[in-house]
Amino acid sequence: MANIACDHCHLEFDEKVMIKDENSDEIKYFCCKGCQGIYHLLRSEGLDSFYEKVGSIKLEPPKELDSDLHKFDLEGFKNKYITQKDGFNEVNLIIEGIHCSACVWLNEKILHQTQGVVEATINYTNNKAKIIWDEDSVKLSEIINKIRSIGYNAYPYDPKLQEERANKTRRDYYSRLLVAVFTTMNIMWIAIAQYTGYFTGIEKDMKNVLNISEFILATPTLFYTGWVYFKGSYFALKNKFVNMDVLVATGASLAYIYSIYAMITNTGEVYFDSVTMIITFVFVGKYLEVLSKKRAIDTMDNMMGSLPTELTVVENGEKDIVGIEEIKTGDVVEVKPGDKIVVDGIIVNAEGNFDLSSLTGESEPVFKKSGDEIFSGSVCLDSVIRYKIEKDFKHSMLSTIITLLEESISKKPAIEKLADKISGYFSFVVLTLSILTFIGWYIGGTGFEKALIISISVIVIACPCALGLATPMAALIGINSASKKGILFKEAEFLETMAKSDTMVLDKTGTITEGKPKVVNAKFLKDFDINLLYSLVKSSKHPISKAIVRYIKDKSDDLNEYFLKNVKNLEARGLKAEYENIKLFGGNLELIKELNIPFCGDFKNTVFIFVINDEVVAYFELKDSAKEGAKKAISQIKKMGMDVIMLTGDNEQASKEIAKEVGIKKVYHSLFPKGKAQMIDTLHKQGKKVVMAGDGLNDALALSRSDIAISMGSGADVSVEVSDVVILNDDIKGLAQALKISKKSYATIKENFAISVLYNSITIPLAISGHVMPFIAALSMSVSSLIVVGNSFRIKRLK
Amino acid sequence: MSSGIIAVMIGVSTFLGALGLWALLWGLKTGQFDDQEKFLDGAKYDGEEELIDAVKMEEKKKNILKNRKDKEQKKYAPPD
Repeated sequence: MANIACDHCHLEFDEKVMIKDENSDEIKYFCCKGCQGIYHLLRSEGLDSFYEKVGSIKLEPPKELDSDLHKFDLEGFKNKYITQKDGFNEVNLIIEGIHCSACVWLNEKILHQTQGVVEATINYTNNKAKIIWDEDSVKLSEIINKIRSIGYNAYPYDPKLQEERANKTRRDYYSRLLVAVFTTMNIMWIAIAQYTGYFTGIEKDMKNVLNISEFILATPTLFYTGWVYFKGSYFALKNKFVNMDVLVATGASLAYIYSIYAMITNTGEVYFDSVTMIITFVFVGKYLEVLSKKRAIDTMDNMMGSLPTELTVVENGEKDIVGIEEIKTGDVVEVKPGDKIVVDGIIVNAEGNFDLSSLTGESEPVFKKSGDEIFSGSVCLDSVIRYKIEKDFKHSMLSTIITLLEESISKKPAIEKLADKISGYFSFVVLTLSILTFIGWYIGGTGFEKALIISISVIVIACPCALGLATPMAALIGINSASKKGILFKEAEFLETMAKSDTMVLDKTGTITEGKPKVVNAKFLKDFDINLLYSLVKSSKHPISKAIVRYIKDKSDDLNEYFLKNVKNLEARGLKAEYENIKLFGGNLELIKELNIPFCGDFKNTVFIFVINDEVVAYFELKDSAKEGAKKAISQIKKMGMDVIMLTGDNEQASKEIAKEVGIKKVYHSLFPKGKAQMIDTLHKQGKKVVMAGDGLNDALALSRSDIAISMGSGADVSVEVSDVVILNDDIKGLAQALKISKKSYATIKENFAISVLYNSITIPLAISGHVMPFIAALSMSVSSLIVVGNSFRIKRLK
Repeated sequence: MSSGIIAVMIGVSTFLGALGLWALLWGLKTGQFDDQEKFLDGAKYDGEEELIDAVKMEEKKKNILKNRKDKEQKKYAPPD
């Protein structure tokens, strides 16, 4: 039978599994009850024009959400997220599930129709919403419920944390950029008239008019846009080092001062156009940096917003709800299945499985019992447990990770140091030379004016242009050709740092392997109804059960899910259930031993054994396999002179096996996020330059410590944000390619440096000896820049 | 052409350009460019209905404020 599309979410399914709805004028098909409900709700609210707007875009079918609505009306939540404005309440939310502008329209519309809501705006770019409402007319939980009723979800974030500041910086930088671009464009056409006048002759009056207009335009650029460089130079000089900011600031302001001098005394050419161009081009790079920080902050808000704000504390047998800020060490907290652990502690009673994937990145749940430590960030999977708080919220694992990430967003030392070192030396040398030139000529008796002109021509000829272009031009073309291959370098300098690195650290799960266990061997010992197994594994969310569901679905089409009785998760062992007096068990060898069933085998991989009425009828071996092409990519990386190391949170046997398969000799296993980060620090201490590739939140910390962080596109949002390079198509071959491009770009950068140094070493002595007019100096600068640009284009030829 | 005319021409055009730049900066400062998509979506979806919606929202706010004021006045009314 043919596939048809759901009339709400537009996902396509087989016709026989669809819900046929004949209530409306024409027959409609829906993939689930949720979609059907939303369709009718929108029609009854008069919002069915949503479907015209959304077109054929596929939506996410509504998820079943826990009934946690009450938490939005709790006192702790109010204190943390709700602010008061003109007698109205205001909250900032992140709306989950927005795909297109029609989704924004629908959400705004439904909120506008809600009684008591006086303002609701949603930003499509980052899915953040601001809602203002009257508390007496409607509760926040009701507003959230409205959003949920149309198939979206909302959770709060605190804009005061980072966003307000980031927004302000972004707006400020954008204003400065606009001013710079405006003045540069205008100065350029005036400069054309001036250059023409230089060759064909120009009246003195006319030249003055042009000079003065250039002066008027250059002034705001230097002092408004260029202010960041003056500020940067001030802090650099205060801390006794010379950086790129100093170079840009002195180059631009000396050219500016000289031009004013030339304008007033009519003694030569003005260089106001150089002033604006230097400032503008370098400022574009700075602006891009600010933009990427803003995106990182959006992700941080996402993470914090999904955390609960209150916990259930048990005291003398009575339960009480307490805000997380007020939790003290020694309190006993109760968590239910599905709850996220927010504060670190030790289990006092009961036992259960925990999903540690957000910390370790490994998909297998970990069994914990009384006396075991549990960390924030893990999720309780299957039982109600009570645990004693060991650390307060601020010192718990998850908040530590978040704080560290926040810090890493605002600093990137290794990369900045490299660029600053080169330009620092250069600008220092140029400045010294020009001062010496001035002193030399002045003592020589040429008079103050001539000495000044000559010393300034030294600075102009060595103006940051050629040197400034050497890196960005090659890098820009390198980045461009990388992005065509699905590799995203977030900043130009990362190419350089990556090319200089000598160690590649790889995470196992998700980077080298697929990250999902797969059935590698299935043995059916007896004939049995496959639907029994299907129904049993379908009842669990364990990754192994999910892998078996996938396997069965692949093998047979006609599957029915039976209604099983007494389904129970046997902690760390498996599942049990009953169906019409048939006893079903499924699990690992430990379970079989416990049931006293004679069965043995030597399994290298994780095994799932299926038992019907105390008889083993089938078993499955599961394995997380290496990505296609992993071995080849790793051998290519090794050939480029890199030392390859594997870090993983997984156990020894599993990690060594994968390492052997892909040809990695150095393996460090069973590591927590902090352990991984410590490994990177150890490598740094040995003088290594480290490139790290990872994908999970668990890698985020180590990624932020490494010199270059590469993340896989499908990985956790945070690790994508803290990384310097993103491999969009998840292909491990991209790692080798990224390295190749960075090496080639770096080689070109070095060539460019050589070219500009050659130019400077010829022209600077000429300038010092007083043979170069400032105009010729500027011309020679332009020629060297052109050659640098031409050379950089050669990177494009790399395959 | 005399240099005076050139001066006027450059002056006027730069002034007009600067005016445009100022308008852009003002829009930026007041947060009108925070969501680039809003402009395009507005062109796509905004019609009479959306205008009515906006007016209704304003009215809703006014009504709530008015009701509150009435309540307060009642509360503090001198005993008769």
